[in-house]
Amino acid sequence: MTSGLHWQVVTEALLLGLATGPVCLATCGPVVAPWMLAQPRGVARQLCQLGLFLAARLAGYLLFAVAAWLAGEAVPQAWQTRGWPTALVDLLLAAAMLAWALGWPRSGSAQPQESKLVQIGAPQPGRPAAALVLGFCTGINFCPPFLAAGVRAAAWNHLGAALVFFLTFFLGTVVWFVPMAALGLVRRSAALVAVARITALLMVLWYAGMGVVLLAGEGFRG
Amino acid sequence: MRHRILSVLGYAMAAATLLVALLVPFKLMGGIASLVSHAGLRIDPVYSGGTPLRTIARNGYTLTIYTLVRPHLLQRGEPFQQVVFAPVSALPTHVEESIDMDGDGTPDLRVVFDVPANPATPLRASVQALNGNYQSLAAVSNDSFTRLLARTGNRIVLRVPLAKSN
Amino acid sequence: MCGVGRSILFTLPMALWTLLMFTPGLLKPGRVEHAAAALTAAFTVGLFFCMIRTGQTYRWRRIFFVALGWLFPVGFIAALIGLRGSMSIPLERMVSGDTPFCFMVTPMLIIPAALTRTVVFPGSILPTPSNPHSIAAMIGLWLAMTLVLGKAWCAYGCFFGGIEEGFAAMAKRPRLRKLDERLRLIPWAVLLAVVLLSAAIFEPVYCMWLCPFKAVTEFPAVRDLQTAIQFGVFVLLFAGLVVVLPFLTKKRTQCGFFCPFGAFQSLFNKINIFEIRFDHNKCTDCGVCRASCPTMAITAESVGQGQALMNCMKCGACVDSCRKGAAVWHIKGTAVGLRPERARLLFLYGAWAMATMFGGSVIANSLATMIHFVLPR
Repeated sequence: MTSGLHWQVVTEALLLGLATGPVCLATCGPVVAPWMLAQPRGVARQLCQLGLFLAARLAGYLLFAVAAWLAGEAVPQAWQTRGWPTALVDLLLAAAMLAWALGWPRSGSAQPQESKLVQIGAPQPGRPAAALVLGFCTGINFCPPFLAAGVRAAAWNHLGAALVFFLTFFLGTVVWFVPMAALGLVRRSAALVAVARITALLMVLWYAGMGVVLLAGEGFRG
Repeated sequence: MRHRILSVLGYAMAAATLLVALLVPFKLMGGIASLVSHAGLRIDPVYSGGTPLRTIARNGYTLTIYTLVRPHLLQRGEPFQQVVFAPVSALPTHVEESIDMDGDGTPDLRVVFDVPANPATPLRASVQALNGNYQSLAAVSNDSFTRLLARTGNRIVLRVPLAKSN
Repeated sequence: MCGVGRSILFTLPMALWTLLMFTPGLLKPGRVEHAAAALTAAFTVGLFFCMIRTGQTYRWRRIFFVALGWLFPVGFIAALIGLRGSMSIPLERMVSGDTPFCFMVTPMLIIPAALTRTVVFPGSILPTPSNPHSIAAMIGLWLAMTLVLGKAWCAYGCFFGGIEEGFAAMAKRPRLRKLDERLRLIPWAVLLAVVLLSAAIFEPVYCMWLCPFKAVTEFPAVRDLQTAIQFGVFVLLFAGLVVVLPFLTKKRTQCGFFCPFGAFQSLFNKINIFEIRFDHNKCTDCGVCRASCPTMAITAESVGQGQALMNCMKCGACVDSCRKGAAVWHIKGTAVGLRPERARLLFLYGAWAMATMFGGSVIANSLATMIHFVLPR
């Protein structure tokens, strides 16, 4: 890849990421916000957790970049609109959020017989796996800017260009996520953690509903 | 001393709350409503149809072309443009219009619909896109906020979605 | 308990206020309107007198509140049918800005309005002949009343809460007793969820999908699978949260365990000067206050801290049920338990003034509608 091509890729991707970052934030916000509220307090800690989340999101982006490049310019129509791939990702995201929100008890942990509702809000050990899974799922979520970036990345004649494009696009969107670390300033309590997890359960219903509707072939129109 | 000051402040606030209650129906409600109405807010264009761009005069009635409306963020619905036919009372029973939507002198849409005498009768229009900027609609009625033909009072509102590439 | 003379004296200001509020109604043309206004005025003043005379708040307030909740749909539905012949609102009406604004959508509008200065609600900013319930007018009404009431809006102002409070009052004893305390956190989660989703998709998500009261007010016209599902959800939520569960639990389950607007309104309790407190010198930790609270705003922990939780709507149930006088009305900054009756009186003047002004007019309007329906014109 020539340096001229390199700069062209970087500039275009960065501008696209910065311009469409709010859409990414709006798409990921309902997933990220409840999860971050359930993490321990502290801006530095939140940045670390957010970093894990975003790293996993980047992995999702790069995986899609490879897939998009392999698909070539003819990115399947199903990928360009909210079709069955979007539905599957929505269902995957719902499943990941459900697993995190309910916090399956590990062997030896207290009160395995109590209802899940009682467990919501109980102190949970740090779960980096949750950050990675949720981040990856949002990374492959087919939001409009992601699709736009995918179509554009597929057009480059060079896998490296596609990867650089997505990496730079990702960095452009990250700018909009950084302020979310301010959630670390909110005082934590068992009640707040419970609210965050119940919110996540509601999001599970939303994403699962969207996924089922898309699979059924009925797009909910405005 | 501190307790006394706090106590006095508490009672003062309680009295102030009563005073506010007295003002609610006479000044406060209207004042807040006035603030809201002057806050520069407008109804989301997906609901309102956008702002009027220009008016085309016809024989006794007018066509008002509105600005393009593009959904925000992840808002559902397609980008569209609205045309309003008014007043309904002046419209012929069969309307066939070639409409220049973007003001370049070339018609962009051909719209055909009948205007029933009974206002409760559903409207149905066929919209033919004359270029690649809009979608053709075989029988649009009140399908959605972004694909619509509806009678509202003495106006008929038509919303045509833009072509997918736009 | 207060002597009759003193009770009349304390009721006089409220009677004057009521006269002031109902004069426009009394001046409306029509004997039915006069009768309805006079009846309602007597009703609200009478209840206030009873509150002062008996020293009890909850049961008299509940009578008013249930009347408001059950009568509001009467007047509202009649107005809808008069205006457009149906409870359902077709797309045409939404497009022309005819959807009456409901205060419950307010939290969902904030982020989209801050980002784009647009209101994601198919209404109108200013009143129109076909839509007097404009956004500016309704926000003005709600915010002005909230400055006085705080979360007490949910016990004195909201015209929906009385519906389930009526069903909750029907059963003598609760059939479902053991309720998880965490249920009271659900409204906060619903609030967070609908605010985030509304900001993402620029739609009032709660109104489009989750509002139980759509079943007794207005709803998007059913014309396809999506609107049919929406209507089904509204009816199911109404049946479950507003009718069945309140009857079984004797709690306000929609308000306490679901309503996101109630959670939003709780934030205003932070700036409201009135609250309920618990006097440790008198409290025996019997738990009667916790059992009596319709929205589980009292926990053992909060009683230990001497206060109710942020979602306390100042309905007075705990104060009236406490046999030791430990649960008291309180003005922030003052000593707990010192002249609680003064705090209660000051609170009630403001709260009942708001209730009379708003709820009273709704009741009068609905009464007039009912009388017109029954009597030949």
